[in-house]
Amino acid sequence: MSGNGGDAEPLIEIEGVTKRYGGIVALQDVSATLTERAVGLLGANGAGKSTLMRVMLGLIKADAGRVSVLGIDASRPRWDVRRLLGYMPEHSCLPLGMTARDLVVHMGELRGLPRRVAVLRASEVLFQVGLEEERSRLIRTFSVGMKQRTNLAQAIVHSPGLVILDEPTNGLDPAGREEMLTLVRRLSAELGIAVVMSSHVLEDVARTCDSVIVLREGRVAATRRIDHTAAAAHGDVRVRVAGDPDGFARAARDLGLDVHADGGGRADGEAAWLIIRGTDADGVLVGVRDAAVAAGVGLQELRPAGPTLEESLIGEIG
Amino acid sequence: MSADARVADVAYSRYDGPRAGRLAAIWSLARWSSLRALGARRGWKAKVIPITLILLGFAPALVVLGLRALFGPTVFRGGLSAALPYSDYTATIGIVILVFSVVVTPELLCPDRRDGTLSLYFSTAIGRGDYVLGKVLAALMPIMLVTLVPSLILYAGNLLFAVHPVGYLDKHAADIPRIIGSGLLIGIFYALVGLAISSLTARRAFAVGGYLAFLAIPTVMGGVLAHALNERYLRLLAFAAVPIQAARGLYPGYTDRGHLSAALWASTAVELMVVAIAVLAIRYGRDTG
Repeated sequence: MSGNGGDAEPLIEIEGVTKRYGGIVALQDVSATLTERAVGLLGANGAGKSTLMRVMLGLIKADAGRVSVLGIDASRPRWDVRRLLGYMPEHSCLPLGMTARDLVVHMGELRGLPRRVAVLRASEVLFQVGLEEERSRLIRTFSVGMKQRTNLAQAIVHSPGLVILDEPTNGLDPAGREEMLTLVRRLSAELGIAVVMSSHVLEDVARTCDSVIVLREGRVAATRRIDHTAAAAHGDVRVRVAGDPDGFARAARDLGLDVHADGGGRADGEAAWLIIRGTDADGVLVGVRDAAVAAGVGLQELRPAGPTLEESLIGEIG
Repeated sequence: MSADARVADVAYSRYDGPRAGRLAAIWSLARWSSLRALGARRGWKAKVIPITLILLGFAPALVVLGLRALFGPTVFRGGLSAALPYSDYTATIGIVILVFSVVVTPELLCPDRRDGTLSLYFSTAIGRGDYVLGKVLAALMPIMLVTLVPSLILYAGNLLFAVHPVGYLDKHAADIPRIIGSGLLIGIFYALVGLAISSLTARRAFAVGGYLAFLAIPTVMGGVLAHALNERYLRLLAFAAVPIQAARGLYPGYTDRGHLSAALWASTAVELMVVAIAVLAIRYGRDTG
């Protein structure tokens, strides 16, 4: 992402993209450089996420600006770009009268796979998304979650370098959402496919992406890296205990943890926050537990010590 | 578990092999679409009507050749070729061609609009023009099963049953391009007009009704008015007959009971096809964003 990507080859470069629909400005001078393997586009409905994705795919032309995808100008003949990309549209767009297998084979062929290869890979991706048993069923008989997984399978059947997912968790129940987020994370983490995912739910982006671009009213409101490894490595926490905080602090120090009182304000009668630091996340959590037991106090609240992603984004957006 | 059983490793693998080009994608779209329009990989109900109509299209050729095979060369006065001239074949099965195109063409476009599949297609290498081209090919291939293939089978049968096959081939060599030209002209006409009407709605039933109305109402009105007003040019409103009459002009000895020239029928056919292309261009040329 812009400014944080180091020397990595950019997946997508967006320069000054503007798109209007009549008098409505969908995108206004949007610029970003996407270098991470999983990037989230976050914003409310109507913020311009889907429009930006469609510009990336070359489905619509920007009124101004330039988009380069995997080093190829997105406005060039679409074959060059699109056979390297996968796209999972937001709304239901699957042919209901086809089986999942037929659809995935067909979409593989349309993206350049020879027929025999498309048939083989369709089995692979349907297995990966957990539809191997249902591959011969008509899509009209599928649940929303199964349709979304079919949608994902067609997007990755041709081994794209980058897959663009437009609100992949939309309409899913909690279990289906959980499965979809796990699949999305696997794309970049295990299957080697870079991901650009849109969502209006921060938690979805935080769990699946390495960076986030916040769009608001067609403009980039904030950009932020999501450093999963740093958070896991340090694992500093803020705790509030019911009972004797000084006793808890002593017990924690005896266990080798670094304990400080949080200087933040608190309401009258509210227990003080303590910041606990250690060398690794697991050690801190075990130490907090053991210190609470040793001091005979209860844990009221336990949070990451630094600002959460949500807090930092809100701070940046203002 | 059998001793031969083993755990299959169905892992996702990268694909770095060759990728086919854009033309292959268009061909893939055409092949899948035409097979589905004929009922392939669908229930038996979807197969019955197209297959029945194809068999009806073949019936005249098969009947003539069957009678020749059963009863010998004397069964038809004037010879086998005169029993069912190539120039009259498509007119003989004209209603079959019409109904077949009415059945097939809406199936090619309406489900894509109804299910919202267009955005999925357009996210692949298939652009709007490619999509229309693929669908025209998809319509043309099955329609030629009734506009072209039966006449070719009749030709092959005539050749097979001829006393001197080489002599027959020599005498009737010019009929081959006429048969192909006729089959293509009628096929392209019905494919374009059927697709243009189907592109106007996402509902298959409306497309079928609209297509039938487009072909039948002007034909009836044109016939009635031509008779009442004694104006032969009104016969050109018989849209269903337009391509067939134009195709008959490819054969020698063309006659028309209304004394309209083959060129007039052909120009009417071309005009209707141009209008159909314009409708498709308008319907699929717009930005889908």
